[in-house]
Amino acid sequence: MAENRKDARQRQRAPLDAPRRADADLRLPAATPQASYPLEMLVPQVLQQTPAVGQRATRIDARLHGLGQTRYIEDLAFPGMLYARIKRAGIASALIRRIDTRAAEVMPGVMAVLTGREIPVNSFGPSFQDQPVLADAQVFHAGDGVAAVAAVTEQIATEALDRIEVEYEPLPAVFDPLEALKEDAHRVHGGDSNVYASRIIKKGDPDAGFAAADHVLEGRFSTQMVEHVAIEPHAGIATWDPAGRVTIWSSLGRITLGRADIARTLKLPINRIRIVGTIVGGNFGGKNEITQEPVLALLSKKTGRPVKGVYTREEEFAATTTRHPFVMEYRTGVKKNGRILARQVRLVLDGGAYCSWSETTLGKAAILAAGPYRIDNLQVEACVVYTNKTMTGAMRGFGAPQVCFACESHMDDIAAALGIDPLEIRLRNAFEEGSISPTGQVLQTVVIKDTLCRAAQRFGWKEVRT
Amino acid sequence: MKRRGRGIACMWYPIGFTVAANPSAATVKVNEDGTATLLTGTVETGQGSLTVLGQIAAEALGIATEDVHVVSADTDTTPMDTGAIASRTTYVTGNAVRLAAENACAILFEVAAPMLGVRADQLEARDRKIQVKGFPQRHLPIGHVAHHAQVVKGQPPIGSASWNPPTVAMDPETGQGKPFNTYVYATQIAEVDVDDETGEVEVVRIAAAHDCGTAINPMLVEGQIQGGIAMGIGFALQEEILFDAAGRQLNPNLTNYIVPTSLDMPEIEVDIVENYDPTGPFGAKGVGEPTSVPTAAAIANAIYDAVGVRVTALPATAEKVLAAIKEKRARQQNKPQSLPL
Repeated sequence: MAENRKDARQRQRAPLDAPRRADADLRLPAATPQASYPLEMLVPQVLQQTPAVGQRATRIDARLHGLGQTRYIEDLAFPGMLYARIKRAGIASALIRRIDTRAAEVMPGVMAVLTGREIPVNSFGPSFQDQPVLADAQVFHAGDGVAAVAAVTEQIATEALDRIEVEYEPLPAVFDPLEALKEDAHRVHGGDSNVYASRIIKKGDPDAGFAAADHVLEGRFSTQMVEHVAIEPHAGIATWDPAGRVTIWSSLGRITLGRADIARTLKLPINRIRIVGTIVGGNFGGKNEITQEPVLALLSKKTGRPVKGVYTREEEFAATTTRHPFVMEYRTGVKKNGRILARQVRLVLDGGAYCSWSETTLGKAAILAAGPYRIDNLQVEACVVYTNKTMTGAMRGFGAPQVCFACESHMDDIAAALGIDPLEIRLRNAFEEGSISPTGQVLQTVVIKDTLCRAAQRFGWKEVRT
Repeated sequence: MKRRGRGIACMWYPIGFTVAANPSAATVKVNEDGTATLLTGTVETGQGSLTVLGQIAAEALGIATEDVHVVSADTDTTPMDTGAIASRTTYVTGNAVRLAAENACAILFEVAAPMLGVRADQLEARDRKIQVKGFPQRHLPIGHVAHHAQVVKGQPPIGSASWNPPTVAMDPETGQGKPFNTYVYATQIAEVDVDDETGEVEVVRIAAAHDCGTAINPMLVEGQIQGGIAMGIGFALQEEILFDAAGRQLNPNLTNYIVPTSLDMPEIEVDIVENYDPTGPFGAKGVGEPTSVPTAAAIANAIYDAVGVRVTALPATAEKVLAAIKEKRARQQNKPQSLPL
């Protein structure tokens, strides 16, 4: 191909006085000469350009994605690999009286069954280790795993789950975060209260601010529980080698901390665990802590074979973390010109059955709750409570979408009450370079007003509406 | 009848963990021909972070994105990383990568200095060359220097570094402290059509202006913004996990739990509000999570603008919006004399 191009170029450059056939100039060429195309790319591909920062560089994995050649866990297989499934409780709050796995164990094709009692340290969690890998004594929400099976096919593993008998003694349950706050509410994890973390942010003198305000407005908002819905479900493959080292291919989004959590549950030195993070088909916060990895590792140890586990879509919803539902109360004192003098915020987070990333969510929500505004007098009180629902954890925004919905709705209500344009009231109150945040931090590279003006300009906010 | 409305929402969002240490480490190895290998413990979760980290390493070494091969996410071979969480990869891991590449580059400068007859601190790496600052005609190809460093001088140009954003713990009583090292800001404005007979909300258009410091790769920033808005629309209008009285999920499937698809997507107009954060790698902050934060608020405000009802509980399903419209009409009929505020 390159040779042809060279020939074509040389042909074109042949001296004019070279002998040629008389009609050669008159005839149309049979095909467009290749030399009419640019022979070389004068501009290098974006990926080859310098400087590299600021380039609209194609993703380095784009070609593999485009060709369907990216290997997710589902695309990986090893000789003799088994398939694991986990039995889910299906009851939200109960004591486990007995787990009988005998009928499952004798099924042809079932290679191993695992219960929570066989897990060296049956608890994990990024803040509090309040979550069992497989529930062994008590079920805290309906998606809790109670036993696991490894079998030669996924179908046999799924069938075997039905043969596992679990005897429960139902316990009272609480599902609403405000109910869970009450004195007489069922204590999900025992203790004095279902509140397992709280945050307070205080700045200035809110009472004085409200007293000086021309108007005081209030609002109450709530948000729902949602799932991350990554296309790739939680997945992993574990293989235990004869030297006592385990390798886990996993869809985890944070392998370093994941490895430490797995080492803790398996009671293994960290250097005996290798985690290979495969390309993840969507995380959004949902793959920020371990799930079935210890189960896969122990099933692999029991059977001496690689064991793969891929959550079903139902498990993705019922047995992995979700976004915290919030109940939010806002109270704001403003001047007639729209300047905010004081704000009070109360947040109650539905923390679900386990802590997971609730502490982080609570902290970020409390810090961000008052919005990107200059408010001298502020009080934020926030707490997160246990309920017998699916656990809530990290999800894109850590509480910020919830408080942003409440705060910005409340801001529009204030604007409407005062007869001020929603853009204008934000510009009047927004942070500036060097503003003090609710936690007393001096803010730098603050471009909130630029984003307001740029979005408004792009949208045509100030254009006359028809 | 379809009524059109518009709503604005702005937000701020921190980069990295709340107070807690969340370090990243990285290793950059410059090969004998001037290409490089980057080792990072972070995980590619679809956002394109490996491309961005490769661009940061390339920038620090003065080479192109393609010249850097990124090896990631293997606890046996890659250095520790707190992971793909808290919108921290570009900022925290990016800083570690930048420092690691600078450390590798320092070895190249040390080797090139006598070759070019200047001090090492008078050199810079640019356009695949090691050149004298202010005298770019005095240069050596980076591959030449890298080869010389490894094969002749016996100093393989390898650099490792780690970085952790500095924070100050929050006071438990008042919450005062410095929980994060930097924040990003954004505004989204939504235009919606609300059918006042069915309550159905359609998002027509969203203008999104996002700050991410320096956009290391504007195309990937735009991708994040569009993806974040898609999630925000689901949160605003459709998605909700429902439970029965016994606490079991009623809709744990994609038939009854509806996520937005391409047909639900509005037209999205993106503005990247560039600025330079001196604490980030080449001025970059981050963009992952914030893209999803203001969408629902902007849509809720647009619904209010369109039909005058305030949705206080998400999601703003057609049923909920219609019920609110009917309630508002009933209120108005009961009090015909009332004047608007």
